[in-house]
Amino acid sequence: MDFWLNIKDEFLRNFITGSRWEYLSDGLMVTLRVSFFAVLMGIALGVIIAIIRSTHDLSDLSRFNPLGRFFINLIDFLSKLYLNVIRGTPTVIQLLIMYYVIFASINIDKAFVAILAFGINSGAYVAEIVRSGIMSIDRGQMEAGRSLGFNYVRTMCYIVLPQAFKNVVPALGNEFIVLLKETSICGYIALQDLTRGAYIIRGITYSAFMPLIAAALIYLIMVLCLDYLMKRLERRLRRSE
Amino acid sequence: MNDEILIKVENLHKRFGKLEVLKGISTEIKKGEVVVIIGPSGCGKSTFLRCLNLLEEPEKGHVFFEGIEITDRRTDINLHRQKMGMVFQQFNLFPHMTIMRNMTLALTKLQKLPKEKAQEQARALLRKVGLEDRADSYPSQLSGGQKQRVAIVRALAMNPDVMLFDEPTSALDPEMVGEVLEVMKELAKSGMTMVVVTHEMGFAREVASRIMFIDEGVFMEEGSPAEFFGNPKSARLKDFLSKVL
Repeated sequence: MDFWLNIKDEFLRNFITGSRWEYLSDGLMVTLRVSFFAVLMGIALGVIIAIIRSTHDLSDLSRFNPLGRFFINLIDFLSKLYLNVIRGTPTVIQLLIMYYVIFASINIDKAFVAILAFGINSGAYVAEIVRSGIMSIDRGQMEAGRSLGFNYVRTMCYIVLPQAFKNVVPALGNEFIVLLKETSICGYIALQDLTRGAYIIRGITYSAFMPLIAAALIYLIMVLCLDYLMKRLERRLRRSE
Repeated sequence: MNDEILIKVENLHKRFGKLEVLKGISTEIKKGEVVVIIGPSGCGKSTFLRCLNLLEEPEKGHVFFEGIEITDRRTDINLHRQKMGMVFQQFNLFPHMTIMRNMTLALTKLQKLPKEKAQEQARALLRKVGLEDRADSYPSQLSGGQKQRVAIVRALAMNPDVMLFDEPTSALDPEMVGEVLEVMKELAKSGMTMVVVTHEMGFAREVASRIMFIDEGVFMEEGSPAEFFGNPKSARLKDFLSKVL
């Protein structure tokens, strides 16, 4: 009996007194906002980089004129540089550089900085996932599209990318889960996300158990929902098989 | 058949790295002709066919289609490919689309046909090859022979001036070869200009207006089926025929 009373007391003290639960709900909103826009940015960036990389790797470069060849080699080099730098350094460092170096002298919304940092970070991983999807499509598909009279870009859009996307949905889902959880480092630039919210409660109440478990549970529920949505998408896309 | 030249090939060269696959091939294909290309595997016959619509780009030489040089970089090849249907060994249907969508995609997107009209055309063609009831199926639900028949009518839907066949029956189970060849024979009878790379000697004998024998990257010999099979001249062709017939 004593135990349950204690639990109840702890709960009230951590979440109800002084409306402390708002640290969690406000934080959750920030986490959702940052994750959502970072995912969108990651997809956009990733697909573009993936197309650049696979176009460079799959096409016969001797067919391009010298200027075109120089151009594709240049943007391919820049893409590789981006991939290596982003995947080769910790996300926390990237976030800190974004806030304290790149936007140091500008007074800017921290959430925006976080979206930018996480979006650029996720883009590198999405790029490699999507590229693996494009490379997995038989080159006969591209040839069939081209032989009907579609140009390279339209064949990509109508024929190659939809199939590539279908193949990489599970891997993309995984990347989104990682990104969602990775936003928990937002506190490093004093942005009050879910993790930071829980941490603030702990600082006020001096009890770690309740706020941290609550934050963990919220992350878990979000990931399960995301996983469910991705599985549904996967099933829908598999209808043609 | 008339004398209008549809495709003219001049001194075609193609290499893959160090391997020289085509070593100077020239020919003319007239409207209404059914040209069958045979030769040992690895001789460059598929490469030659793929050079005709520039799926492979030759290093040297020229290809003219309907009087226009398509090997010229200034030519918009996408425009001319719409008039050159191609059928592949591996069918290459789009697996994420229904048969109907496979057939109407290029019609609606490239020829800007309204959807209903494109579907009407597609249905008529599917009926011709006996697959009208499969319009809403996906390629994975079809047999190899059915897939290839769809691939043929998908190319035909664009109303091409020439059809290129790259070993259309080589990936098929033996009992399905017949149904595909039947469609091709019908097509030849309707007057379509065709260039066919194949190992089906029976088809060549029966349908071809001209047979070309490629070996080691050059045209060794060509002729009508009668002279080709009845009176082969080069030793290489005699040797080849003795192995395949």
